[in-house]
Amino acid sequence: MSVLENKIVVSFEVNGRPVELLVAPNRTLLEVLREDLGLTGVKHGCDDSNCGVCTVIMDGKAVKSCSILIGQAEGTKVTTIEGLEGENGLHPLQQAFIDHFAIQCGFCTPGMILSAKALLDENPNATEDDIREAMHGNICRCTGYKKIIEAVEAARDTINAKA
Amino acid sequence: MVMKFEKYYRPKTLDEAIELVQEYGSDCKIVAGGTDVVIRLKAHMLAVKTIVDISAIEELKKVEIGAQQAVIGASRDLMSLSRDPALCASQWQIVAECAGHVSSTQIRNRATMGGNNCNASPSADTTPALLISDAVVNVVGPQGKRDIPIEEFFVGPGKTVLAPDEIVVSFTLPEQGDRCAAAYHKHAIRGDTDISIVGVGVRIGLAEDGTVCKARVALGAVAPKPIRVHAVEEYLVGKQLTDEVIEEAARMAEQSITPISDQRASAEYRKEMVYVNMKHMIRAAVEKIG
Repeated sequence: MSVLENKIVVSFEVNGRPVELLVAPNRTLLEVLREDLGLTGVKHGCDDSNCGVCTVIMDGKAVKSCSILIGQAEGTKVTTIEGLEGENGLHPLQQAFIDHFAIQCGFCTPGMILSAKALLDENPNATEDDIREAMHGNICRCTGYKKIIEAVEAARDTINAKA
Repeated sequence: MVMKFEKYYRPKTLDEAIELVQEYGSDCKIVAGGTDVVIRLKAHMLAVKTIVDISAIEELKKVEIGAQQAVIGASRDLMSLSRDPALCASQWQIVAECAGHVSSTQIRNRATMGGNNCNASPSADTTPALLISDAVVNVVGPQGKRDIPIEEFFVGPGKTVLAPDEIVVSFTLPEQGDRCAAAYHKHAIRGDTDISIVGVGVRIGLAEDGTVCKARVALGAVAPKPIRVHAVEEYLVGKQLTDEVIEEAARMAEQSITPISDQRASAEYRKEMVYVNMKHMIRAAVEKIG
């Protein structure tokens, strides 16, 4: 039996929009987001869930989309970096990464920002230690991590000042 | 690489899952969080035609913390376990602590207790917690239920005693007794995201007069499977924990193992780190008793 005969229907929500797909089950959430839905802000890095560039938010939690089967997305709500910008412009985390020079090549940035967003959504008063712990699974080979931590702290303060 | 499996099932109930693994046997692989299995499927280290995804079965996610025992569902994620207030305040706190040492936030959000143990890595961080808690693995298969003491669960790297048509349902942790506590140290270069060079788990119970009435010692990453060190446990029971006794226990632990040298550490270094951390963990367990 070929893979094609065994396609599955997967319904989930991506960046607030419902999605229904007929897909082969031997694909990862990462592959479907990038290749079928064109969401190339989700990066494809190590492919073995070490580097963190494929991080997305699934039902409020940061997860590595390269080790999630597409069938496991059924019924979930997924947020990618493309879903962060609102009507009033960039998300405070995106703006803070720019303002604090927390980006060099940018490849790790979407995953970094999504890990940070999942953390701040759950714990709006996250300390530096909380931030370092939450982002331990995101690797950056350019900046070092200092600017990234500073950016997350700044975004935290911006978000809290508005609240 | 492209994963080669052809069929994918996501049963909602345990009964459906049991039927599926019976039907496909060794031609299927169970996946829950996917953080190990999906990686191995992509690397073609696993060549199965069928995937049975148990992550939608709610009854496998239950955690029950009682006075006499705790039951932890096999597909409970390690993040929620590591933060479970009832588990953290219980005599099985070490299980929450070890769950919190498994890799990164993103991985703990998906990885499960069943997966971390069925993966049978010698360095799995939750296994020492189960070993020093006398955990029992609750399994179902075509012949019904069976209970496997955790020490008998592992065969070697990546291998357990599970038959292809068996599913781990939960882990049962028995009562540990009064004035009893456990400590674990993950020795790794890059913190929790790294694979342990050694893992050292110790549980100590103290009698009223301060002598050791219970001792459990488990080591990770020093043998083909996570191990208990019975000789050290037997040595400790009945003794006052003087500096000399702790020193001797640590030496015994170090001398009882024959670890390998690999890219993470030499055999000599692993032995030395077992010696050093055994001393720290005995003292840490006693400190937790208070």
